[in-house]
Amino acid sequence: MSGQLQGGSPSNHSLAFRVMRLCRPSFQAEEAVLRLLDPLDLLAAEDILVDPSLPPDDLLRISDPSTPDAVANSDFTFRDRFQIRNPVDAMALSGLLIVPQSFGNIYLGETFSSYISVNNSSKFEARDVIIKAEIQTERQRILLLDTSKSPVESIRSGGRYDFIVEHDVKELGPHTLVCTALYNDGDSERKYLPQFFKFIVNNPLSVRTKVRTVKDNTYLEACIENHTKSNLYMDQVEFEPSQQWTATRLETSEYSAEANSETRGLLKPPVLIRAGGGIYNYLYVIKSTIEEFGQSKVDGSSILGKFQITWRMNLGEPGRLQTQQIYGTPITQKDIELQMLDIPPIIILERPFQVHLSITNQTDRTLGPFEVFTSPGISNDEKFVMVNGIQKLVLPPLEASNSNIFDLNLIATGLGVQKISGITIFDVREKKLYDPLPDVEVIFLFFFFFVHSFLNRRYILLIVCTFFHGNADLC
Amino acid sequence: MTGEEPDAGGDPPSVAIADPLLSPPTSPLDLPFDVPSLLALSRRGQWRAVLDAVAVARRSHGLLPHHHLVCLAVSALALSKLRRFSDAAAEIDALDAPLDSPRFRFESYPSSYPGRSGSMVPFALRFLHADLPQRLGTRSVTVDRLYALFDLVRSKILEETTTASADLWRRREVFVIASLCCNHFVHREFEAALALVRLLLERDPSDPLLLSRLGYVQLQIGDLTGAKASFARLENLHPSGERTVELENLVGRNKALEFIVVKDYAAAVREYEECIERDPADVVALNNKALCLMYSRDLSDSIKVLEGALERVPTAALNETLVVNLCSMYELAYVNHGDVKKTLSNWIAQVAPDDFDPSCTRI
Repeated sequence: MSGQLQGGSPSNHSLAFRVMRLCRPSFQAEEAVLRLLDPLDLLAAEDILVDPSLPPDDLLRISDPSTPDAVANSDFTFRDRFQIRNPVDAMALSGLLIVPQSFGNIYLGETFSSYISVNNSSKFEARDVIIKAEIQTERQRILLLDTSKSPVESIRSGGRYDFIVEHDVKELGPHTLVCTALYNDGDSERKYLPQFFKFIVNNPLSVRTKVRTVKDNTYLEACIENHTKSNLYMDQVEFEPSQQWTATRLETSEYSAEANSETRGLLKPPVLIRAGGGIYNYLYVIKSTIEEFGQSKVDGSSILGKFQITWRMNLGEPGRLQTQQIYGTPITQKDIELQMLDIPPIIILERPFQVHLSITNQTDRTLGPFEVFTSPGISNDEKFVMVNGIQKLVLPPLEASNSNIFDLNLIATGLGVQKISGITIFDVREKKLYDPLPDVEVIFLFFFFFVHSFLNRRYILLIVCTFFHGNADLC
Repeated sequence: MTGEEPDAGGDPPSVAIADPLLSPPTSPLDLPFDVPSLLALSRRGQWRAVLDAVAVARRSHGLLPHHHLVCLAVSALALSKLRRFSDAAAEIDALDAPLDSPRFRFESYPSSYPGRSGSMVPFALRFLHADLPQRLGTRSVTVDRLYALFDLVRSKILEETTTASADLWRRREVFVIASLCCNHFVHREFEAALALVRLLLERDPSDPLLLSRLGYVQLQIGDLTGAKASFARLENLHPSGERTVELENLVGRNKALEFIVVKDYAAAVREYEECIERDPADVVALNNKALCLMYSRDLSDSIKVLEGALERVPTAALNETLVVNLCSMYELAYVNHGDVKKTLSNWIAQVAPDDFDPSCTRI
């Protein structure tokens, strides 16, 4: 039965409830039935027009859908079930709508809408009909319709009383649509007809969030997973931050400029999450609205905000959900900030070079003295960059909010792209070892200099290197 | 190649060239059946009669290789229309060689087709060969074959030397892309469907049918802004003074859809009524108007609209989707809906073409 719910209906009643879920209709693609073709493609060889001696007009006349049938007196009857008019018609989408063919699934956040028809299939009139419809869940009963104040005077034999109910689904689990009719039957007996239609409400989405801090920024990553049996069009996904934060969505524009600018606006790919487990990720950068330097430390249970999600299905059928509050880990402010300021543009193998570094005390008290060295790190990889000279550099104490710039003398022992890694700071007084500076990649070269004296010209071949900083680990 | 000519159909070719019946056809449509009557039968949906005509043709003497292929194409189509899909597939499989085999080229039979070259395979046969696996439960084979057909058509467009033949292959390209788009749509693979619509729009950015269908795909997804833009573009490209009745109705029906989206069913009904006044056989308007009435709680009138359509314009209105909708309404309206559906079913049996799918009444 299409869209019908199973409900018990005692047979000694004049009246009966017929119920059909009324979610929005869908477009029907009629390709299962029709296989529209061009008669020329059916009756002639595909390379028919290769032969220049054959008159193309004769042949193409067969394709012409307006040609009347010689035999059938211009009887066009079911021509449109056979002959294609326009090749695009193979899409089989005429715009015909079809009513929902099954009850389907119901999800939290949707609107349950239903056509309810009270039919009188007896030979007698039913009078003074009081009709009630309500939804019962584990937690509550919601009245949708009640004609007690103005009962339906009469439903004649073979007649009907129809109504449409709507209910925003806000609870999970089993629901029962209870329809009752209280009426006087043909014998003037007051009869009571209850009918029950059960359905279950499931969760359509899950939202998993991760909060990460990278350098000075806090990022919120949200992964939406679709548990329904339909593709969900994400109409609106909005993160509403709580008062002390602002949030900016980061998105790539994968949709590059179309060659044909006329169609560009029409074909921006929609965010469509596939049925049964498809996912889509959203990324936001969270910034504190409180701008004080060093004051952004927040306690561990800070509330970042929540998501408002609106999705749509066929013909715009909407669903809306809100997530719970999302908590974030605070932005950790390091006590000591170590930064690499400068590296020489050309670094030659086995020749010492200097890197400039700065150390900043981000606390409100004096720290230090410090030792700077390169630590071996976890891996046993051979290191091709070493401190040249004294292995431990000692730095004097640093007052609150102050910086110091110093040089580290290094030497490279291997050619090519290598890492300067493991530069570590150790606070001697507090016995505190800080995280090493993130790896920096550089290229070490030979420097070629040749003088080629040929026709009194000198050629200098110089290979210029580029160097780049290794990225901080974003994972 | 030996002096012996390979045979496409299974019958040994006759030898005597002097026999006038065997001289090469002067027209490529010189077929072993009467073409106009076969087309008339097809347009009336009399597919059993088509099958009979093909069977008779196949028994005639002096059939040339390309006759066998055309008979095969028509037979496979008729069997598909009668929903005898395994029979259709079996007939094509009996060919025992792929459609690209030299056996199916004119130059392989120089005495039968002097001076002619090229493939004698009817393009519809390729399409049916691709379409059938999904009717038999292996959709992936259909998709693969359709994409392979897409490749073939694209390479033919590049090869063709005359404008007429290149145009013909371009029409076939649009046909194949549109078929693929439909396939993806039916299986809810909307991103693929949209990508193919984009391809079609590149070739013809102002085609009103295409823009409408883009809108329908977007509406099915739920992308209301996208659909609105597509419909607006159509209206801008084809302004109101210059439209045919057909185009005017297309625009009207699209407007009605936008009303349906916001649940303004009364406004949608008004749009559809204007369409029906311009064209009383506009079945899409009739069908959709009935749905709007139902969604407005007016089940009785929705049934009247559909029953009225079947009565007034039966050959246009006899459409499986319309019948499914009517039967759904019957099930809602009548406790004992079996009787009224049976009456409908009997009427359909008398009036409907052979390829009408009777399961749509769900009896």
